Amino acid sequence: MSETVLKVENVSKNYALGKRGVQALSNLSLEVKKGEFIAIMGPSGSGKTTLLNVLGCIDKPTSGKVLLDSIDVANMPESQLYKIRRNKIGFVFQSFNLLPYLNARENVELPMENNGKSKPERSARAKELLAMVGLSGREEHRPQRLSQGEQQRVAIARALANDPAIVLADEPTGNLDIKNKQEIVKLLANLNLKEGTTIIMVTHDGHVAAHTERIMFLSDGKIGKEKEGMHLAKKNICPFCKNKLQPTDETCPSCGKTVRVKKKPSSGIEKTHESLSKEQNASSQ
Amino acid sequence: MGIVNRAVRNISRRKIRALLVIIALGFSLAIMISVPAGIAANQTATQNLTQNLGNAIAQTEASLNNTIAQTEASINQTLTEVDCSLTPTAPTGFGFSGGNSNFNPSQFGGGNFTPGQFSGGFGGGFTPGEFGAGTFGGGRSSPMNETYYEDVTNITGVSAVAPVLQVSEGHNETVNSPFGGRTFERMVADYIIEGIPLTSDLDGNYSVLPSNITSGRNLQSGDSGVVLLSENNSAYFNVGVGGTVNILGQTFTVIGIHGTSGVSDRQTLYMNLSDAQALTNNTGYVTSLHVFADSAADTTAVASAISSLHPELDVITSQQRLEQLQTLQTNYQTELNSTQTTYETQVQAAQTTMSQTNSQAFEEIIVAVAATSLITLFVMLYTVRERTKEIGTLKAIGFSNGTVMSQFMLEGILLSLLAGAVAVVISLVAAPFLTSVLLPSVSSSVNLFGSNVNVLRFANSGTITPSASATAAVTTSPEIMLLGFAAAIAIGAIGSLYPAWRAARTRPAEAMRYE
Repeated sequence: MSETVLKVENVSKNYALGKRGVQALSNLSLEVKKGEFIAIMGPSGSGKTTLLNVLGCIDKPTSGKVLLDSIDVANMPESQLYKIRRNKIGFVFQSFNLLPYLNARENVELPMENNGKSKPERSARAKELLAMVGLSGREEHRPQRLSQGEQQRVAIARALANDPAIVLADEPTGNLDIKNKQEIVKLLANLNLKEGTTIIMVTHDGHVAAHTERIMFLSDGKIGKEKEGMHLAKKNICPFCKNKLQPTDETCPSCGKTVRVKKKPSSGIEKTHESLSKEQNASSQ
Repeated sequence: MGIVNRAVRNISRRKIRALLVIIALGFSLAIMISVPAGIAANQTATQNLTQNLGNAIAQTEASLNNTIAQTEASINQTLTEVDCSLTPTAPTGFGFSGGNSNFNPSQFGGGNFTPGQFSGGFGGGFTPGEFGAGTFGGGRSSPMNETYYEDVTNITGVSAVAPVLQVSEGHNETVNSPFGGRTFERMVADYIIEGIPLTSDLDGNYSVLPSNITSGRNLQSGDSGVVLLSENNSAYFNVGVGGTVNILGQTFTVIGIHGTSGVSDRQTLYMNLSDAQALTNNTGYVTSLHVFADSAADTTAVASAISSLHPELDVITSQQRLEQLQTLQTNYQTELNSTQTTYETQVQAAQTTMSQTNSQAFEEIIVAVAATSLITLFVMLYTVRERTKEIGTLKAIGFSNGTVMSQFMLEGILLSLLAGAVAVVISLVAAPFLTSVLLPSVSSSVNLFGSNVNVLRFANSGTITPSASATAAVTTSPEIMLLGFAAAIAIGAIGSLYPAWRAARTRPAEAMRYE
């Protein structure tokens, strides 16, 4: 039943660097289904950020196709691309990138501007999203009055403003302490479980990656290995009532809410936090 | 949360910087507003002055012609008159001597006379009887004794003789020469006593007494102990009809007041001849004789008879006075023409100065426009650079190039709009100062008349001072301010065009730049 949200076909990206070009992505292919939570890991220079930029329509591949909701965005002109970024993609940045002179609500409202929504509608939606990320009552606070974790929550709410097809998070926990790191990852995982948000997250951190359902290791512009994360297991449990689910369930037989269960049987590999972290450490050296 | 709101908030983010930029822009814009205001003021001043001075010349000419016409008319009424007097002893320091018919008007233009004093001594004192007879302008003729009167009366063709005593009373005044550092003493007449024989045969028959009585009555035969004052005298003594006035220690009753006319001396008070002789210790003496011939045709014969009898007398007929008047008129006209030429030259010079001022102003405005645009350009470029990441973020979350561009354009325009308000305040307060620094001085560029200004002053009795209106107030009109605001918006737009374009072209990937 899962439809493909994002399909990347044979994408290459070359940068001209001095006389020798650098190939940041080489012939990379990738498919993301609706409701998936994916982590991309890899050492510095492996092409993580380039990939995320290509997926987020803020950089164009040298060759290949990027199909977002079946639309090829790889060769779309800027005059149309900004609408794709606005409506189909939600960005979460490592350093939050909130506008310091706007309060939380106004920051969340930003992407909804010029989108046909009235001011009260935008405001209501922003409040709803802030409540969803646990910031009820903090709507009128400016970023400098929020903790870093809270700022990233605002950024996540902003990413969800236009109900995007896919959320791209670039090291969303990179600037956070351990406690906040945990909270943000859990928030993303919960959003994925409860709201069915499709998330692709780039991270260095094995612990963080372990919370996803699929982990891709990038090296030399290609996807080297792919592993399952611990998040997959949670997909057999209803996030609302903790009832055990069957792979065929679309709604929870206990509480009746829409659920996202693991559709295909596990490929067998299930790893723990520890083993993932070791692998990550090894690959980054 | 529209782009306007964001633009406002962005400006207020760095308050001190914004304030400094706004003040700097404000000064440039204030120059742009003030300079045209200064130009307008210059133009107004030049126009006013040109007009004033043009009017002054016209008025001078009219008043001159009027005086001449009146005088001519009064001489024409007394064509039978011949006046004689002894060569006067000239008062010390007086600019010219009485009885001298070479009456060169340029002496007046030279500046020896201030207008007010001159009008007293001359304007009304231009009576046919005195002019040319040596009593002019407060000068004092030598007294003649009564043998002269009898000799003249007995001449064939003489129908009547009016002996007159005229004594001028005044004070000395130290005057600075306008032509150098010298000073000299000058007598300023306070009033002139004129004794008239109040006998019945002269009563009202000849123009010896003034004809223009404004209050009270004229002198008549038999009057004694009374005076007929001029309006000037009335003001000088501060007394009206029926009041008493102390003249040289003796008290007189004011019987009437005469107004100024072509033939009435403004400073002359009239009284009985015997009163005047007693008052001034001149008993038995007169200063001049008004001789009336049987007919106008006889005057030349009468005049030569008087001259052959008493060669020491200055004799002048009405006919001669008419000729003198014509010479006077010609001389005045020459003087006026020369003034007119000077005026035209100066107007042209002023216009040349104006056009120089205009081109200087044009350059200054260009510089101000350039400065304002460049300030806006650099400030906005800096702002765009500084906020690259922020702009990248906006692009990454779906802002179009157009929205980003308008956001920054608006910010630049808003800056210069605020600067425009500051500029209006500055120019309201300091436009005259700014203009005086930036433009050639208005007053020096319109000194149209030079030394000829005295001619004008003289002929208009000091009522017109052409140099007084030489500076017009620099006022920034609402139109100019509106224009300034419009310019501010235009400059803001031009100055922030490139920075805004740079902002719009910021790659969304800049959002990923991690500091």
